[in-house]
Amino acid sequence: MSAPTTPDAGSRSHTSEAAEASKAQEAEATPSSASPIARFFAFIGSIIAAAWMGFANAIGNALEFLERWLFNGKKAVYGIAVTRIIFGLTACGLLLSNFTTRLYTFGSGSAWNGEIAEPVSDFPKIWIFSAFHVVAANDVAFTLLYLVLLVLAVLFVLGWRFRVVLPVFFVMWVGFIEMNDMVGDQGDNMFRIAMILMFFTDAASRWSLDAKRRAKKGEWFAPDSSPGQIGTVLHNLALIALTAQVAFVYGSGALFKAQGSPWASGYAVYDPLQTARFGTWPILSDLITAWGPLVAVGTWGSILLQCAFLLALLSRPTRLIALVGILSFHIMIGVLMGLPWFSLTMIAIDSIFIRDRSWKRLADGTSRRWRAAMRQEAAVA
Amino acid sequence: MFTGWHILASFLWIAPYSANAREIVPGSQDTLNAYMIPFFGQSWSVFAPEPINGDYHFNVRATLADGSETGWVSATDVEISMIRYNLFPPRAGIQSNEVASSYKDAYDSITEDQRNVVGGDFAVDEWEVGLQAALEAQVAADTDAAATDGADTAANTAEIDDLIAQEHRTTAYATQVAYAIWGEEDVEKVQYRVSRQNIIPFAERHNPSAERPEPTIVLPGWRGPIIEDHQSSENFAKVFRDQFERSTR
Repeated sequence: MSAPTTPDAGSRSHTSEAAEASKAQEAEATPSSASPIARFFAFIGSIIAAAWMGFANAIGNALEFLERWLFNGKKAVYGIAVTRIIFGLTACGLLLSNFTTRLYTFGSGSAWNGEIAEPVSDFPKIWIFSAFHVVAANDVAFTLLYLVLLVLAVLFVLGWRFRVVLPVFFVMWVGFIEMNDMVGDQGDNMFRIAMILMFFTDAASRWSLDAKRRAKKGEWFAPDSSPGQIGTVLHNLALIALTAQVAFVYGSGALFKAQGSPWASGYAVYDPLQTARFGTWPILSDLITAWGPLVAVGTWGSILLQCAFLLALLSRPTRLIALVGILSFHIMIGVLMGLPWFSLTMIAIDSIFIRDRSWKRLADGTSRRWRAAMRQEAAVA
Repeated sequence: MFTGWHILASFLWIAPYSANAREIVPGSQDTLNAYMIPFFGQSWSVFAPEPINGDYHFNVRATLADGSETGWVSATDVEISMIRYNLFPPRAGIQSNEVASSYKDAYDSITEDQRNVVGGDFAVDEWEVGLQAALEAQVAADTDAAATDGADTAANTAEIDDLIAQEHRTTAYATQVAYAIWGEEDVEKVQYRVSRQNIIPFAERHNPSAERPEPTIVLPGWRGPIIEDHQSSENFAKVFRDQFERSTR
C-alpha cells in the first residue's frame, strides 16, 4: 500500500508556530529577577509544554494522515487484483488436481469417514453452505456442482461480474472444501477469511473483464459521490484488516515456533522434510538439508522473517527483503512439502504489499516487451 | 470502529492463547468464540513448537470367507505414492495418514488395561457396543482395585468415547481397503496395524550406518467390517486399487 503523495496541508507548521509563540511568551513572563531554581522549573515547565504539544500534534497528524489515506482513493487496486487472480488460479488448481479422486476424497467413496452422516465442520450444517454436503452421495450431482465450481473459479480469475461471482463462489467453495475436514489445512481458513474481506474491496477494478466493461460504460458511482466515498473507505479498511490478518498469522507463527527446541537449535525444517507426509520430494529434501548452515538459515530465517514481517513492510528496503524472503519461504513450503495451494493462497495475499506503481511498471514493461517480440516475429514472417 | 474490533478480535484469536490478554474483551473467551467461529476459525501453531518428526503407517489385513488370513497391505504406501514427486498432490494421498494419527492419539490416551482390551477380537455383529462395555468394565475394575489401595481413579469417559469413535472410523476405512484389495464378497473380518516411526535424527543424517528408530506399533484385534450408509465401495476401490497396482508394480 503506498503512502499518499499529496503534500501536507500546512496545518502542522501552523500549530507548531503557535507552540513556539506560546513558549516565547512563557519565557518573557518569567521575571529576570527570579531565583535560579524558579528559572529551572520554568525551563522544565516549558519542556513539558513542548512535549505535550508535540504529542498532541503527532496524534492530530496521524489522524489526519489516516483520514486522508482512507478517503483519498482506493489503495492497492492492482495488488488486490493480483490476489483475486491468484486465488482463482489456486481454486482451479486444487479442483483440477483432485478431480480424478474427487469421489474417493469428497464423494460417495469417502462415506467411511462419517461426514455424510454427521459433518465435522460447522459449515455444512449451515444451510447456505450445505449444497455439496447434500449431494455428497450422489455422484452425478456432486460432479456437476464440482464443475460449476470450477467454472466459477475461472470467472473469478477473469474478474467477470465479480460482485455476483464472488458471493456465489464463496458459498460454494466453503461448502466444498469443508466436506472432508480431515484433509484440510490452514490454507483453507486463510482462503476463506481473505475472501470475506475481499467482499469489501474492489478486487476487480483492474486487470479484469469488469474493468473493461466499466471503462466503456462508466462506474456505478462517481468516485467523489458519497456512495463512491463509502466504497473507497470500505476498500481501504478491508485492506487494513487483511494486512493485520497476515501480519498476525506470521507473528503468531513465529511465537509458536520460538517455543520449540528444534527451531531454536536451528534444524527444525529438516524434520518434516524427512517424513513421507511433508517431504514429498525425498531427493530434494536430502539435498537441501545436507549442508548444516543452510538448514540453520532456513530454520532461523523462517522465524525472523515471520516475526519481523509487519515492521519490515514499513520502509521500502526492508519491505523488499521481507517480500523476497517470504516469497521464497512459501515456494519452499509449496514445492518441497507438498502444500502448493496453501502457499499460493499466502503469496496471493502478500501481493497487496507490492505498490500499484510497481505492478503497473511490471505490466507495462511486460506488454512492451511482448509487443516488441510480436513485431519482430511479424517482420521475420 | 468495526474494523478496529475485527482486528483486535483476530489478534487475540491468532496469537498464542493468553487468558489475561483476552480479558480485554468483555465476556472474554465466549465473546471471541461467538465472533470468530466459524467464519474466522483458524489456528497457526503449524509445525510448532516441534515439527513432526515421524511417519505413520497404516496396514490392513483380512480374514477371508475360506478362513484364510491375507498378508498385510500398507494403505499409507498406496496413498502416499499419490503425492510423492507430485507438484500438485491430491488430498486423497493423506487420508490414511490422518486416520492412523488420530487413531493412535486416541489409543495413547486410554489406560494400559484398556489397551489390552482393544488388543482383543471384536468381530461379532454390534461389536462396538461390546467393546465400549469392556472398556468401561475395565474402569470399574480399576476403580475397585484403586479403592482397596486407597488411590483415586476417575472414569475416563471422554477418552473411551473418543477411542470408540476412532475405532468406528478406522474400521470403516480398513473395511474399504480390504474390499478394494480382496473383494467385498470374500472379506469376513479385518485387522489393522497402526505404527509410528521416527526419522533419522538431524545429527545422524550423514552417518551411513544410521537407522531409523524402532517404530511404536499398535495392534488392535480383529474387527467386524463396518460399512457406512451411502458408502460406494466401488468408488473407493477404483482409486485405491489402481493406485495399489501402480505403486506395487
